[in-house]
Formats: sequence, C-alpha cells, structure tokens
Amino acid sequence: MNFKAVASSFKQQAIQFLADPQWIIPSIIAPFMFTVVALYMYGDADGPIVLTAVLGGGVLGMWGNMLFTSGYTITYDRYNGTIEPIMLTPTHLIDVIAGRSIWNTLIGLVNALLVFVFAELVLGVGVSVSEPLIFFPMLLMTLFSLASIGLMLSALFVLTRASFVVMTILEFPIYVFSGALFPVSVLGSFQSISYVLAPSWGVDAMKTAAVHGYESMTSFGIYFDVIMMLLLMAIYIASAFLLFRVIERNIRESGALVRY
Amino acid sequence: MMDAPYEYPIAVEGLKKTFRSSKRSGLPDKVAVDDISFSVKKGEIFGLLGPNGAGKTTTIKMLATLLIPDSGKVRILGIDAVEGNERAIRERINLVSGGERGLYYRLTGRQNLKFFSNLYNIEKNKQNELIEKLLETVRLTDAADIKVEDYSRGMKQRMHIARALVNRPEVLYLDEPTIGLDPEIARDVRSLVKQLAASGTTIMLTTHYMFEAEELCDRIMIISNGRSVGYGTVAELKRLIPDANVIEIVTDSDPHETVSKLSSEHRIIHISTERIGGRYCTRAQLKDRTDMLSEFDTLFYEHGIRKISYDEPTLEDIYLSLVSADDSVDITPAVGGH
Repeated sequence: MNFKAVASSFKQQAIQFLADPQWIIPSIIAPFMFTVVALYMYGDADGPIVLTAVLGGGVLGMWGNMLFTSGYTITYDRYNGTIEPIMLTPTHLIDVIAGRSIWNTLIGLVNALLVFVFAELVLGVGVSVSEPLIFFPMLLMTLFSLASIGLMLSALFVLTRASFVVMTILEFPIYVFSGALFPVSVLGSFQSISYVLAPSWGVDAMKTAAVHGYESMTSFGIYFDVIMMLLLMAIYIASAFLLFRVIERNIRESGALVRY
Repeated sequence: MMDAPYEYPIAVEGLKKTFRSSKRSGLPDKVAVDDISFSVKKGEIFGLLGPNGAGKTTTIKMLATLLIPDSGKVRILGIDAVEGNERAIRERINLVSGGERGLYYRLTGRQNLKFFSNLYNIEKNKQNELIEKLLETVRLTDAADIKVEDYSRGMKQRMHIARALVNRPEVLYLDEPTIGLDPEIARDVRSLVKQLAASGTTIMLTTHYMFEAEELCDRIMIISNGRSVGYGTVAELKRLIPDANVIEIVTDSDPHETVSKLSSEHRIIHISTERIGGRYCTRAQLKDRTDMLSEFDTLFYEHGIRKISYDEPTLEDIYLSLVSADDSVDITPAVGGH
C-alpha cells in the first residue's frame, strides 16, 4: 500500500470537498433532515426513544454521506478523465479510494456530533448517553464500518456509469436493516440480513452503551457486537481489495474505463 | 524488479486487440488492432498515424498497460507488458492524451502535480524541486497556484505534459498532444518533445497533423483498420509509392465546385483545397502515372490559375495513398492543415 498516495488522496478529497458547495447537501443538510423526520416519527416520546431517533438520524446521515461520496468519487474521476492518469501510476486504485474514504469518515463523524448538538440546542431534545466512554468509540467504529462498505461499493462503481442510480438503490437497505431507527427484531425473518451488516452491530453497540436496559440483538453483550463488527469489516475490506483487483483487470480487458 | 536488458525500449510483435460488443447491442465485435509489429529505439520519436478509429489510441493504451492485448508480445524497457508486470512498467513510463480532461479542475496546477507525484511515490524532499522544474519547463510557474479550471486550453495541455513528466519517464506516449492548440503553443509542445527525445526519452506519438509527424518523427507507422499499411522513415514511406503523382494548382478564386466534381473522378485518389493567404491551393493526388495536367488547366482556368505543376509527394500524400488503398476507410476528416 502506498501511504503517501493515501494521504495525498485524503488531502485532495478535502480540497475538493471544501471547494465544491454541492457536498453540503448530502454531508451537512441530509443528516439534520433525517434527525428531524425521525423525531417527528416518534412523536412525543421521550428518553430512549428520542435517543434512538437522534442516533438513527445520525447513522442514516452518515451512511447517506458515505454512499454518496464513495459513488461520486469514482464517477467524478471517470467524468473528469482523471481515472486513466491514476490507473497509469504504479499506485493501486484502492489506495486512492481509501484516502478519500478516510476524509469522508471524518466528515461523517463531524456530522454525527453536529446532529447531537443540533438535537440538544436547536430542537431542545435532551440527549443523554449512559456510557459515553463506550458510546463514542462505538460511534467511530460504526462509521468505519460504513466506510468499509463504501470502499467495497466503490469497486463496483468503477464498473458502472450509472453509479447515481445504484447509490439511490443501495441507500435504503441500510436504513431498514441496520436497526438505526427501530429494533431489528421487528424485521422478522429478514432479521438475518442485519447480521451480515457491520453497521447493525455498531448501532446495537451504540444503543447498548447509550440506553440503560436496552435489549441487545444478542445476549452476548457489547463485546460480541465489537467482534462481529470487526470481523465483518475485515471481510468487507478484503472483498474490496479482491474486487478492485478483479475489476482493474476487467477494465483493462474491456477498455471500459474511459467511458462516462 | 531488476532491470531487464533490452535493445529497444518499445518492442511489439503480432499485437492484437478486439473489443467485444454486448449481445444486446447486436453490433459485431470491433477488431481495433490486428497483428502489428514494430520496435522503437532509445531517444527515438516514433509516429503512429492513421484515420480516426484506426487503432492508434488502443495501441498506445496497450503499450501503456492500460489495456490487455488479446495476443502478441509487448516488451517495454525489456519487461513483458502483457500481464503481471504493469506496476514495474508504470513507474518508468507515462502518457499524455490530448484534450481538456485528465486534471483536477478544483485543484491548482501545483496541487495536481503534487497529487500525482505522490501516486508515483516520489520522496517528499524531492517533490518541491521537481515540481518547480516541471512548471518552469512547461512555462506555468506564474500560474502554478491558480486553479486548473481557470487555465486556458493551452495551459491545460502544458499541465498534462508536466503531469506526465513527474516520474521522469524513460518512455513517453503522446496521444495527439497538440490537438486544438493554437500554433504558438503547439510549436512550444513540439519543441519540448524534441528536447525530451534529445535527452534520451523514447517517445511514441500519434497525431493527425502530417507536418507535425514529418517534423518530429524519426520513423512512422501508418495504420488503417488496425493493420499496418506503411512503416519506416518518411523517405522510406515515400519509396512505397514510387508512382506518386501530385498536381498542385494555385488559383485566385475558390475552386470548390470544380474540386467537388473532381473528387468523384476515379483517376483521383484525393483532392483538397486550402486557403493560403489570399489564394487557394489545391492538391490532387492521381492514380499511378495518370497525366491530367492539361485537363486541370482547362477545368481551373476560370478561377485564375497562378501556378500549376507536378509536385513532390508530401507525407500527407503518401498517407492518403496508403490509407485509401483500404476502401472501408473514410480518409477525409483525418488530415489536418499546416
């Protein structure tokens, strides 16, 4: 891995982000909208339910942001004609994407924290977390788990020019199956899908840390959530490496790289 | 990877590439490159000429490891480039494509160069000096901290060249590097290409401008429909058409109607008119040893003939002769003017 390339891609993404106002919509505005909608959905409830709403809004916002930026980063390079000069270098495409994903993760974290502040100060919703020292590391891990899915999906976005359509389709499964807005137990037989999504374990861990007496997805406690999250993240990242390798070869055969 | 010994920095043998069409499209597969072989010496400028769709860019992309050939041998700097060694090759080559795309518009010129020099893993302490030198080489020092989106077309093209030089490539591919540039900038680019070759960089160039190829290239391959139809120095290519027969007529008024009628004449391979100064210069390439001088004299009389004579064939005439031998090729849009 070329860490210089990772760092440089991080910086490049930061400059692009700050220079381009369109990012404000998925990265800043959307998470607040999710939170407000979630709070209205839960009506006049208080305590843990309110926290679920705020947390759900934050997670959905982070996912939307991650998905949008993962898809857009490749589409932008394809449209801009920069994907070929990148491929021409000895650096693996995944190193470049990884640097950008780290920036997106950072923005996601800032976002999630802003959602909490917004709920507390603007909406006047009291959000208290029972185990903050566990909760915040779990928030960060959940964010990285979303980023690892984004990294895996980025490989697929190399293949298609219709990344915006794919992004829109992929936005919803995480909303439903991550348990961000409601317990996954209500999903019935579809609950098993949640088990293969690292963010579901992250959300479960966050809720366990935030809400005293929360009924977890399993009876094994928060450490099991962490292990599952790490295991699934490792699988996603390994898959991303494998996918990038296969896809890079595929586009070198088909010549589809420069079409946009 | 250890440096492999090599005689030619670029050595190609029996190169083939077919693009498969999707079943849904119903279109036949496209044979882009069909069994071409050539080699390029160190410090040589090698030209690849051909009409649009002839396979020039596909060939360059295969040599730059961006595409995998279906068959054939490609050795770049002595390394097998077909598969598996692409990263070792990429460290030592680069590619400039014509056109405006290929740079980050929201980044400044300097930031673009910094980004790409990191992708080539160039040491931090060497980057600043290298970037300054590159900016100076392409005369963009004053614009280094301006966003690329505010660059003119010529500045972007020069920035493409600077970007392609960040890894000090031993082999440089130039795919229509002067397309759309004004004459002054294009001349600067050509001058830079000569300097690079003189310093030992092996250069492979595609262009539609015949005068550019004639000025720059030590040897040329002309391809049509993916096949080689001519290969050698300009003098050697001219010998391929020993009966080349060209009439040049300079007239006061525009003879386009006459030229249009003559273009369907079976004894003429190609005819075109160009406005030079206040006059019109028409060149007609005739088949074999056809004598049409007196016929032309009559036909062009009404346009005020200033000069009419047989002329030495240029590279453009040779190109048109060789390419038009393939009936399926539309040669008209492929030739640029001086």
